[in-house]
Order: sequence, then C-alpha cells, then structure tokens
Amino acid sequence: MDYLSKKYLRSRKIPSTACSGCGLGLNHKAVVQAVYELGLEVEDVVWGTSIGCAGRQTFGTWKGDGFAGTHGRVYAIARGLRLTLPPEKKIILTVGDGDAFGIGLLHLIHASRCNADMTIIVNDNLGYMSTGGQYGWTTPHGSKTDSSPYGMYEHNLMSDGMDVLGVLKHAGATFLARHVAMDGQRAVESIKKGIQNRGLSLIHMVFPCPTNFGSRELGTRDTVKIYEWIENQAAPLGQEKENTVWATGVYFDASNSRPEFSESIRKNVETIRRTAAL
Amino acid sequence: MKRYLETGNFAITEGAILAGCRFFAGYPITPATELAEAMSYRLPQMGGIYIQGEDECAALHLCIGAALGGYKAMTATSGPGYILYADPYGWAIGCEIPLMILNSGRVGPVSGITGAPGQGEFYLTRYPTQGGNFETIVLAPNSAQEAMAIVVEAFYLSERFRTPVTVLADQLITDGFEDISVPENEGEMEEMGFRKWPRKINRGPEFYPATDEIDIPPVVLGHNTGALCSDWTPTEEGYDIEEVAAHHKHAYRLIYKIRNHRDLFNTLYEKTFMDDDPDLVVVSYGTPSRVVNTAVKKARQMGMKVGALRLINLWPFPDEHFTRKTKYLSVELNWDGQLVREVQRAAPKDSKINFLGTCGDLPTIPDLIEAFTKILRGQSLERRGWELEGW
Repeated sequence: MDYLSKKYLRSRKIPSTACSGCGLGLNHKAVVQAVYELGLEVEDVVWGTSIGCAGRQTFGTWKGDGFAGTHGRVYAIARGLRLTLPPEKKIILTVGDGDAFGIGLLHLIHASRCNADMTIIVNDNLGYMSTGGQYGWTTPHGSKTDSSPYGMYEHNLMSDGMDVLGVLKHAGATFLARHVAMDGQRAVESIKKGIQNRGLSLIHMVFPCPTNFGSRELGTRDTVKIYEWIENQAAPLGQEKENTVWATGVYFDASNSRPEFSESIRKNVETIRRTAAL
Repeated sequence: MKRYLETGNFAITEGAILAGCRFFAGYPITPATELAEAMSYRLPQMGGIYIQGEDECAALHLCIGAALGGYKAMTATSGPGYILYADPYGWAIGCEIPLMILNSGRVGPVSGITGAPGQGEFYLTRYPTQGGNFETIVLAPNSAQEAMAIVVEAFYLSERFRTPVTVLADQLITDGFEDISVPENEGEMEEMGFRKWPRKINRGPEFYPATDEIDIPPVVLGHNTGALCSDWTPTEEGYDIEEVAAHHKHAYRLIYKIRNHRDLFNTLYEKTFMDDDPDLVVVSYGTPSRVVNTAVKKARQMGMKVGALRLINLWPFPDEHFTRKTKYLSVELNWDGQLVREVQRAAPKDSKINFLGTCGDLPTIPDLIEAFTKILRGQSLERRGWELEGW
C-alpha cells in the first residue's frame, strides 16, 4: 500500500489503531486502489466516515477534505453536502454495518430513494465490535457474541432469505455489490464501478474481526481461523455452495439509469429561477 | 420597503432570504409548516435549495451538509421536532457549524396541542444536546416584524460565533397575521438595522484553535483545504483524539467564545417603566410580553409602581438585569415555571419571586393586574383551576 498511501493518505494516521489481525485495512486498501485506478486525485474526493471500528479507523486518513458524522446520519450529511458540491467531486463514505443497516437505515433508504451521488463502502465486521462485540443486523444466525451468548436467534437483514441489498435495490440505489475483504481485485473492480455510477452506490464488504467476533464465535483470536471462516462461507454469485452466506460480486447494476439527486434538484431550481413558474 | 399583512412564517422566510440563507431542509410540523411551504416557494426563485428530510434529525443533518458545502442554511420546527435535533445540534456545536434554527413553541409535552402557543423549550434550547461543555445562543422575538429582524441577527451571530443559533418563537408569532414591512434593498436593510456577515472559508491548518476568538471562518469542505471535522474530540487540525486535556481545550472554546463576547447580543432586551426602580419587575419573553407591556402601562395609570423587562437574548441568561433586590414576576406560557427558575437563580437571595403561567392561550390583562395587585400587597399568587398556575 506504500505508493498508494504516499499519494492519498496522511502519514499521521499510519499505522492505524486497529487491532492486530483486523481485516478493515484490506477493505480500505481496495477503496484507495479503486480511486487510484480511476485516475482520481486527492482533491477529487471528499471522504466521509461514520463511527465505530470502520468510521474511526478510516477517519482523517484521506489527504483531502474529510468528515465523520454522528452515528447513522452520515448519509443525510452527505446528501446535504452533495447538493452544494460541484458534480465532479466524488463523495466516498466508509461506514460500518451497525451504522448503515441499523441506526442509519432510514437515512440510507432515503439517500437511495433520491439516488444521491455517493459511494458507500459498508465495512461489515458482523456486529458491534468496537463496543466489545454485540450482534448486529447482518450477524449470521447462531453466532455467539457478547449479547448473544446462546447464539444469535433474532431475525435480521441477512437471515431467512432476507438480503439488505434487496431493500436498498427497491429503495432506488443504482449500484450494489457485495464482497469479502479477501476478494482483492474483484472488490476493487466493483468499487470502481460504484464510483463511476452517478448515483447512489453501495458496496457491502464483510471483513474479519479476530479480536471480538472471532474470539466469541470461534473461541480463538487466531487470525487465520476467522479469515478461513469467512472465506469458506463466501462464494462468487452463481457459484454458491450450500453453506454460502455471502454471494460476492455485483448484486445490481443500474448505473446512470436514473436522474441523480443533486443534478435533478439543480435543474429544477434553475428552471424555476429563470421562469418563476408555478 | 414593501408592506404586507402576513404571518410570522412569511416574515421569517423573508428575513432568512435577506440574511443570505439559500438552503432549507425541514419536516412538516404545525405551527412551522407554513414556513417550510414559504421556503419551498421562495428559495428556488433565489437559486436556493429547499428539500424535505425524512425526519427532523435528517433535516438538520441535511442543513449541516449544506453548511459544510458553504451555504447559509436553516431549518424550522416545533417542540416535538426540536428534540429530534439533539443529535445533529451537538455535532454542529462541536464542529462549529453556523446554522439558524427556528422553534415555534406549542403546547407540550409530546404532541400536546398543535395549534396553540407554548413556551416549554426554555431550558431545552439551552441544552439542545447531550454532554454539556458548550454554551448556546438563543433569541426570542415577540412579533412577526421583530422575528424577521431577529432571524437576520441570528444568521449574523451564527457566522461570527461559528455555532447554531436558535430563534425561539411561538405559535402566535409564526401563525399570526400582522403588519410586516420588508426591506427591498441593502440600503433599506441597513436602515432597519439588519446586519449581514458573509460566509468565509477556513483554509486551515488550525480548524479548531483553542481560543475564545470569534470571527474565525467555519470549516467548509470541497475546497481541498484538508479540512477535517468529526464528532470526536478534535485536535486543532481536526484529527480525532482521546485525550481529556485536548477535550478541555475544545470545550473551553465552545463555552468561552460565547461567554466572553456576550456584548454582541446582550443588548437585545426591552425595558418598559424600569427607570424608577419599580417595586415589581415583570419578566417575560415572546408573545406574553405584549400583554405584559399593556398590563404594565395600565397598572402605572392605576398608580402601581410596576416595570416590565422583556428578554430577547434568553441564553446565555442575562443575569445583569437581576442585580436589584425587589419583587419579580415571571409570566410564561407554561404551567411548570421555567424562566422563573433562572430569575430565582439570578436575583438577589431575598427577592420575592413569583410565577404566573398560562399555556395554549395568553394571560389576560385583568389576570395580570390582579396578580400585580396581590404581589404588591405582599400576597402570594394561587393556582386558578385549569387556566392559570401561580405562586
């Protein structure tokens, strides 16, 4: 990541304060790699983050302008910002699963509804890991966490045939993909497509947490074990096995098919300003 | 100058546009809905943006986003929406985002009575978010015309102090029809005493200097200044840091940039018959003050030595008006007594402090005259059925 970090990231934030073995860095690198491969410069991107592991570890890493919203509300802040930034500026958000699919789901649905141009990377460590490890809205059924000592038995957004990406598809998001942290270049390609979509793109990226998830679910902080556990349950779309939880690849691509939020608002405002017509 | 017979909502809209507001995000709520409607009509004509949030929490976050993009932004609501601002209000205080927030009070708690005036958010506007370690600026007009001026002033103060400013009105101000004069050009604005402050861009690298200085341009994103803003304790450059000393520096700024520059707004008050050290000072703000002023004039004609103090700058609370030991009466649009508690705190220890509260409707002049008479005779006020609370 050296050449990438020199170009795009602040030295003050390297190395990150993540736990040893944390997979978040893989996701973070995939995003920066995608930005690099698209030929974007530091000034082309405003980077927003949420709170929790994903938000805190990525906040202030981007050399350019950055912000961190309150828990779950970064989609609303980014929508307001979108209306005031030039259309060529990209907004990239690195957030966590609790932020996007729990407390912030309403705002995420409404950002999808209006197809606001932003690329959201949901870094999913399968629950609330920065608070010590409680189950969340994508925690696989039966998983042991500090708040599900008997195994997680609540319905959630990835159980019983549910898929949170389906919710967002029907809410109006125009690019949706899913990956696991170990997907490497495949994930980079999806993120690139997401950034190129002028509309709301979301890439759901599961990453391993050995410290709080691995230790409770697998009984060990052994990094390799949790990486294997996730990798075994992930398969490319169309090649799913019986135990596949995360089918990876592009889930839905309607890139540039719907008017973008800020563009449409600006166009309408301009017409009204010119004609003052009711 | 153009004259209208219009509502306070109209006056506030025109004031905001005169102040340079070009972004409004809101959520429909009585009695601030017409303000959103007026904005949806007026802003696009001015090249500004109106949008509706999915809730009040989103609405204020949308305003924050727009303010981060360099726009002057505002939202408007009533009590049940104002509590949903807790989350973004705190963020805006911490990141020092200039915003104007209008609260039109109705009868609470919760939804209560939607189309009647109340003053239940006196303390809520002081503590609109959790955590403490901050100071807030709150201004309360008492008419539609004044609401316009106060809104312009709130935008002005929000830019200079880099903080959200709440304008606390009530249902009678926002919904009531009044004679309103709107300035039509900069010259007329100046004539009416309207002050304007342009949005400037902070170019860093010290985005959050640990001083009480004002007039520091706010953080604006998208100009590649390397600006950082977050909900965590910031270093002066905006990096997140878990350190009590750094947090104290930040909190010092949030508290004292306002406390140490109160002279910029503590001149906002009105005193009637206060020059001869009256035996009773009637304290109020917002619409009830209009009845109080009339009642006090009448009482003077009747020979009672009564004066009226109307607060416009509510927070930080102007203690300086309460240095004299005398009798005080706080007249409020609530039955629990809120402003009176601050009077009790600020006034000299052995002052006699009374409270008269109505809610949903204004006190009448006979009610007030009766109260003045009782207090001046040394009697206490009493509760009168469901209409009136007094002590």
